[in-house]
Amino acid sequence: MTPRERWLALFARERPDRIPTDYWATDEVTARLLRDLRCADIEALYCHLHIDGIIPVEPPRTVEHHPDDPLADIWGLRKNPINYGTGVYEEFANHPLESMTEVEELDRYKWPSADDHDYEAFRRMLMQVPGHRLVRSCIFEPFLIYCAMRGLEQAMMDLVADPDFVMTVLNYIFEYHYKLAERTFEIGKGRVEVTYVAEDLGGQTAPLMSLPLIRKFFLPNQKKMADLAKSFGIHVFYHTDGAVREIIPDLINVTGIELLNPIQWRCPGMERQGLVKDFGDKIIFHGAMDNQQTLPFGTVEDVKNEVLENIQIFRGARWVCAPCHNLQPVTSTQKIVAMYETIHNNGSL
Amino acid sequence: MADLQKLYDAILNGNNKAAREITQQALAEGADPQLLVNNTMIPAMNEVGKRYEANEYFVPELLIAARAMKASLELIRPLLAEKGAQPVGRVVIGTVQGDLHDIGKNLVAAMLEGAGFEVVDLGVDVPPEKFINAVQEKNATIVALSALLTTTMHSMKGVIEKLNATGLHGKVKVMIGGAPVTQKYADEIGADGYSNNANAAVALARRMMAA
Repeated sequence: MTPRERWLALFARERPDRIPTDYWATDEVTARLLRDLRCADIEALYCHLHIDGIIPVEPPRTVEHHPDDPLADIWGLRKNPINYGTGVYEEFANHPLESMTEVEELDRYKWPSADDHDYEAFRRMLMQVPGHRLVRSCIFEPFLIYCAMRGLEQAMMDLVADPDFVMTVLNYIFEYHYKLAERTFEIGKGRVEVTYVAEDLGGQTAPLMSLPLIRKFFLPNQKKMADLAKSFGIHVFYHTDGAVREIIPDLINVTGIELLNPIQWRCPGMERQGLVKDFGDKIIFHGAMDNQQTLPFGTVEDVKNEVLENIQIFRGARWVCAPCHNLQPVTSTQKIVAMYETIHNNGSL
Repeated sequence: MADLQKLYDAILNGNNKAAREITQQALAEGADPQLLVNNTMIPAMNEVGKRYEANEYFVPELLIAARAMKASLELIRPLLAEKGAQPVGRVVIGTVQGDLHDIGKNLVAAMLEGAGFEVVDLGVDVPPEKFINAVQEKNATIVALSALLTTTMHSMKGVIEKLNATGLHGKVKVMIGGAPVTQKYADEIGADGYSNNANAAVALARRMMAA
């Protein structure tokens, strides 16, 4: 089977030849792996480690900056690179909606348009993707954008203190993404096979916000995006970090997710056996290779054992072996290779 | 007479305007600021913490309650200072070097304030020397270190090593927390305590003060 066939078999509830694998890593880790493993590019790395990696393809932007701020992105957000010693990540340097209080101010704000993308270029890009790879287009994660535009703490407080304000912003963000997805999926029909719907709803020990708030602010638009994708035969990959056990039934029954990532099984309620028992017949589990303890601080043996343990636990369910979120520079090449070798050697179905 | 049950409710429900107004009224009527803190505000924040532990409150409710508590505390703090009132304890808190994530640290800081601690918040990306200096300058009893990233949590060890080298660790207790941090890690690096949420951090700080 090709990587693409392996994924599609999983979505179709058929048995692939082996447990599929996926790859999430920071740029620093990818650069190091390419160097250490003498791979010329990401495709060579995927082949070397037998990774069923997904290829992201998006309609390129024709407008890169906010009309009122040439240094900001399309949402009006500026970013600063932050050096953490072994790498760099970007943090938001401003919150353009920070001082706003009235819905009318939001209506005057200049929101991005789905017209500002080159869809013909997207069509050409799709034709160049190797046929053995699964293609992903569009990421819908509106509250992440909301938090950046408003500031994280203010955003969290808004959910209970100013619901009309939140709803207005979320609807502007949704409108852009929905129109973009409609046009993207129309062109990508038959070639784009997966879309990401995401929202970080979980903390380390519990959901970040209550289920009523999640139902009110997030699920209705997520469902619209998922329904749109499905109308084009595109599968819904859902990401939320953290302890989210009590939200999963709604994600399945309301949003209509087909796959849940990243399964942080050390978080309370996210124990793998329980998830398999309760949801194993409904969704694909993606991730489950612990990226807070095992991968960064465990031994090579710990990593191998976790792969083998996961194979046992997810037997009978559908699992994609992948790190819980991006591999970080603190995880050695040796451990990463051990993870992919172990699943390759033991993941036949 | 100001209705202190309403102040309690305002904090519990995160109504910062009401919290401020009732506090103003109570103080104008001559209420003892220390009693306002001890008998109304700390109990209200205790209840917030309990509801958080019980998964009845989540981050948004915790934040608006803390905001209401701070609105009230801003009016009270200068009066406490005038009287020379001593806090329950003095905590220097910050997110460690290389890490800019602060919501967890801010929640812990707010809950500690709500429990009567004086909190010196050094912000994010704090180098070890800055923690040491603040501990010395403020005569802190506890230093609280936060990290979200597996790539930055090692900085906690650096702070503890510096506290050991300067002989301060005997005088100040170190508590740590953050998503990838565990009790095992706390033990490994010689931290005096670990907690996995803001309410547990308050209980830990209280235990440290009692020890």
